[in-house]
Amino acid sequence: MRRSGLLQWCAPGLGAALLWLATGATGAFAQSIAPRLAQCAACHGADGNSQIKDFPSLAGQPRVFLENQLVMIREGMRDIPAMKGSLDGVSDADITALAQHYASLPVKSTSGPQNTAWLERGRQLASDMRCGICHLPNYQGREQMPRLAGQREDYLLHSMRQFRSNQAVGRDTLMAAALYGVSDQDLQAMAHFLARTPP
Amino acid sequence: MKLFALRPLVARLSWAAGLSCTVAAFAQAPAAPAPAWKQGMPAAMANSTLAPLAGKLTVTPAADIPIDKIKLPPGFKAEIWATGLPGGRAMARGDDGKIYVGTRGLGRVYEVSDNGSQRSVRTVIDKLNQPAGVAFRQGSLYVMAIDKVLRFDGIEKNPAAAPVDMTAAFKLPSEPHHNWKYIAFGPDGKLYVPFGAPCNICELPTQEYAQIRSYNPDGSGMQVLATGVRNSVGFDWHPVTKELWFSNHGRDWQGDDSPNDTMHRLSRTGINAGFPYCHEGRLPDTDVKKANACQGVEPPVAMMGPHAATMGVTFYTGGMFPAEYRNVLFNARKGSWNRTRKIGYDVVMVKAGADGSNARVEPFMTGFMDEATQTFWGRPAYLMQMPDGALLVSDEQLGAIYRISYAR
Repeated sequence: MRRSGLLQWCAPGLGAALLWLATGATGAFAQSIAPRLAQCAACHGADGNSQIKDFPSLAGQPRVFLENQLVMIREGMRDIPAMKGSLDGVSDADITALAQHYASLPVKSTSGPQNTAWLERGRQLASDMRCGICHLPNYQGREQMPRLAGQREDYLLHSMRQFRSNQAVGRDTLMAAALYGVSDQDLQAMAHFLARTPP
Repeated sequence: MKLFALRPLVARLSWAAGLSCTVAAFAQAPAAPAPAWKQGMPAAMANSTLAPLAGKLTVTPAADIPIDKIKLPPGFKAEIWATGLPGGRAMARGDDGKIYVGTRGLGRVYEVSDNGSQRSVRTVIDKLNQPAGVAFRQGSLYVMAIDKVLRFDGIEKNPAAAPVDMTAAFKLPSEPHHNWKYIAFGPDGKLYVPFGAPCNICELPTQEYAQIRSYNPDGSGMQVLATGVRNSVGFDWHPVTKELWFSNHGRDWQGDDSPNDTMHRLSRTGINAGFPYCHEGRLPDTDVKKANACQGVEPPVAMMGPHAATMGVTFYTGGMFPAEYRNVLFNARKGSWNRTRKIGYDVVMVKAGADGSNARVEPFMTGFMDEATQTFWGRPAYLMQMPDGALLVSDEQLGAIYRISYAR
């Protein structure tokens, strides 16, 4: 059951297939990340789009962002209780393969009904706070900077709150500084807007 | 009312738009220090997509390093000396020849052992908050992270040496930004430590930032040597005068060509390098202003290029390179992000009089960046002279160390 599900995710994942070719991967290599993917799917969704509150979607995130965060979580620099130990001993090559896999999957927004006032406030705040300089004007992210467009609203809010309260240990001090002192209401408005920005 | 009281703070940020959100933000946090990132970012640059460049945290095998692209003056050769140190930057050499390498985001300190033909790498400690500072003295390794100072006694002979936590003695300030370290012991046996400004450009929240200090090895006897130093992460002592020369990163978001990163000489204790009011010893800041902004500011020895990220500084005193390289200052420039056309990504030489006069900056090691395509593969960060006179260069991007040697 799991195996067929895995094939289903990977079959459209041309990027993943290309990666396996590019790295000269053998069946053994493919197998090495297969059990990991099943483990990831439990929380982050079979297609990389999370259906669980506070758990981020990984689909369509920039490869470098995913790779860097996976390394930081493995190293224990990013302390995520739900992931504790789950990346122990995973090789750099497998982390790159996981990152490549999720980067290649299409994003599906999971956001609920929109509140126009919040949406507009969030749009204005994100513009005024220059989020688009790093995350790009359409908030799709690039390189080490995550995609914000289409991410789960609850996770965006959770993550921004962590930055603001200096709990985002292991992540860029620039973000802690960018969100310093921003009100919770404003964070909520930005999360509302970004989650509903077309991916 | 409240809103008016907040106006001066708001005015200090150069956001043309979004006053309402800015006010709301500050209303929530009365004691807010200046935000590090957005301050000094003019409205004209709101549509810029310049951003810091991604580091690479995974191992890069030697086969994937295009070392043949390196260009050096005739007679010099670059080879891959060590790999497998993701994020590796500043290097410190132990008494027995082991080399310790700090990192930032990855939180590790590496130990490189050389058996003569091959190098092996192990991680001494991990999970630290940007342990960029490493120094070695009398058998002990000193590691300085943003919020921690550790000493490993006898580490070269005893890989399991437990660290002594010396954090309390150093009284590190609380703001993390630009407070990763370069550290080194001076000819006077003191430990030299920079404290960066916790912002791009701002009035300092407290005066303990934008300084270079020295300490006794145990953290006592702190002395402030220089102020107004925005972010120095590289220094060395002049081989003849024994004066400290240090590199300093200029501010961002003030245009492609301004201000320069700079190279300074500590001509006396207590010099002021100008931050935040004055850059290059001559340019008043456009955001944080005061009358006579450059009065009393010690001018730099050399301009190191705008946004070039001037890093490691090493005076060459070895016997391997030709005589004209003796006492020349080598400087690694990690390369720009806050500039439309890339600059840096190289090792340059600063040739100057012992008093800093007549400085010239000349290329030495290039080829990390391709001007035509604006792409790069490596970012040279620090330098170290080996006992045989070869020069090691760390590449923070690929987690590798290269060895530069000379043969007639």
